[in-house]
Amino acid sequence: MNRQTKEIIIKYIFLLFSLVSVVVLGLIVFSLFREGLPIFGKVSVKDFLFGMEWYPTYDPPSFGIFPLIVGSLVVTLLATLIAVPLGVMAAIYISEIAPQAIKETLKSVIELLAGLPSVVLGFFGMVIIAPWMQETFDLPTGLNIVNASVILAIMAIPTISSISEDALYAVPREFKEASYALGATKFETIINVILPAAISGISTAVMLGMARAIGETMVVLMVAGGAAAIPESLFDSVRPMPASIAAEMGETPYRSAHYSSLFAIGIVLFCLTLAFNLIADYVSHKFRQIGSGTL
Amino acid sequence: MESNTIIKLKDVNFYYGQSRALTDISMTFGKNKVTALIGPSGCGKSTLLRLLNRMNDLIDGTRVEGEILFEEKNIYAPDVDPVEIRRKIGMVFQKPNPFPKTIYNNIAYGPKLTGVNAGDLDTLVEQSLKQSVLWDEVKDVLNKSAMNLSGGQQQRLCIARALAMKPDVLLMDEPTSALDPISTAKIEELIEELKKDYTIIIVTHNMQQAARISDETAFFYIGNLIEYNKTEKIFTKPEVKQTEDYITGRFG
Repeated sequence: MNRQTKEIIIKYIFLLFSLVSVVVLGLIVFSLFREGLPIFGKVSVKDFLFGMEWYPTYDPPSFGIFPLIVGSLVVTLLATLIAVPLGVMAAIYISEIAPQAIKETLKSVIELLAGLPSVVLGFFGMVIIAPWMQETFDLPTGLNIVNASVILAIMAIPTISSISEDALYAVPREFKEASYALGATKFETIINVILPAAISGISTAVMLGMARAIGETMVVLMVAGGAAAIPESLFDSVRPMPASIAAEMGETPYRSAHYSSLFAIGIVLFCLTLAFNLIADYVSHKFRQIGSGTL
Repeated sequence: MESNTIIKLKDVNFYYGQSRALTDISMTFGKNKVTALIGPSGCGKSTLLRLLNRMNDLIDGTRVEGEILFEEKNIYAPDVDPVEIRRKIGMVFQKPNPFPKTIYNNIAYGPKLTGVNAGDLDTLVEQSLKQSVLWDEVKDVLNKSAMNLSGGQQQRLCIARALAMKPDVLLMDEPTSALDPISTAKIEELIEELKKDYTIIIVTHNMQQAARISDETAFFYIGNLIEYNKTEKIFTKPEVKQTEDYITGRFG
């Protein structure tokens, strides 16, 4: 076998491996749609998405997932509001301000946070935060939007922080030097030069953090409370989409209407995370730096 | 010359961690003069330049000994704020490094930090761009990104940006080494013009450039100041053998 044939064979072997993930993804999406689409023979897409009542086991059943969508969006948005400032500021501190020793420690602690199993965080929310919240604010239950959002935020912080950090490191040193040489302080340099130059990476970090939060199942199953109704306050319980799927899938007869409605929720979730990823991708291209100088 | 001194170095030693980059440098820089710092790579000339506006503070593990007097005050005294020093001693870098902002905002960046009000900014931007002979080329595109300019234009923009701070001294770290010959000629003309109002200290690898534009030239070798004299003298009758070897191209 000569050298050229070897090269060609190697090329195709690698192609094969990279195709595996594409094919697997394709098959998963295919089965998701195959199992989920039949529900739309029973309810219209509009009634499914915007229906106010989720009573899949009643007779007659009603498959309105709007409360679940609202539940997912509310906990995700609140989690983002908590996680973005914390994550981005941690990234700024680590990449621009902290002395070497603190930098290393902080980085590994945040990475450790990313490695915590979500069920452990869920336990923490259930056993520690929920009772405390219930007593302190005199609530009917501590398993609610705020609790779930806080835990989701803790999960999203490592994603947001480490991707933002990479974006901040990628800001060319020349920009920083130019700013310092004009008599800017460190704070002024961070606000006026470093952050704007890293904004595309930071936006990507935020979108990916949100995608992580909206798809997270265990935490919302354990601490969001599970009430499939539109919440009236931040201390109400909600039932986000992943929690619904995880909680109900075990009890549904194979290929019943309830079964396919859960798959259809999966389709909605898939579309949402896909949208987040596409937006992240678009944003990072849109704001891409034109490099420093065109020599 | 003593009465016209703007910066004076007394026994300056500089260390990166354990290694010494500059050894016992004592020299003075004259007001409204162009002083060129020449020498082979790694001789410490850029390090010296960056000492003069405390840019080396930004590098971890560096240490300065001795005194650097700017207008008779030691800029390394504990009560001196490096930010103040950098406002009075501007710097232009080797690679043009405009901010990824509009041309206008590049110039306005420094003055805005010092609280120049918006009304005066327009005038200041125009004045600075005229000083750096860039105004005619960019006056219609002030709100376009500075990244679209050519390398030579970017470098003149960086000079304008430094001038907008109304500094006393302008430090230039090989400002033309990344530029084509025509842009280089424009920058050299500009330096000629600027020396009426500013003290210019320029590091250059290009000896013809040093000979063309400077009044005084200092030759450095491995962290030592070997010879410092009138440019004419250095390039025609150097006193030290090493200087002669360097400028005649025997090493470096």
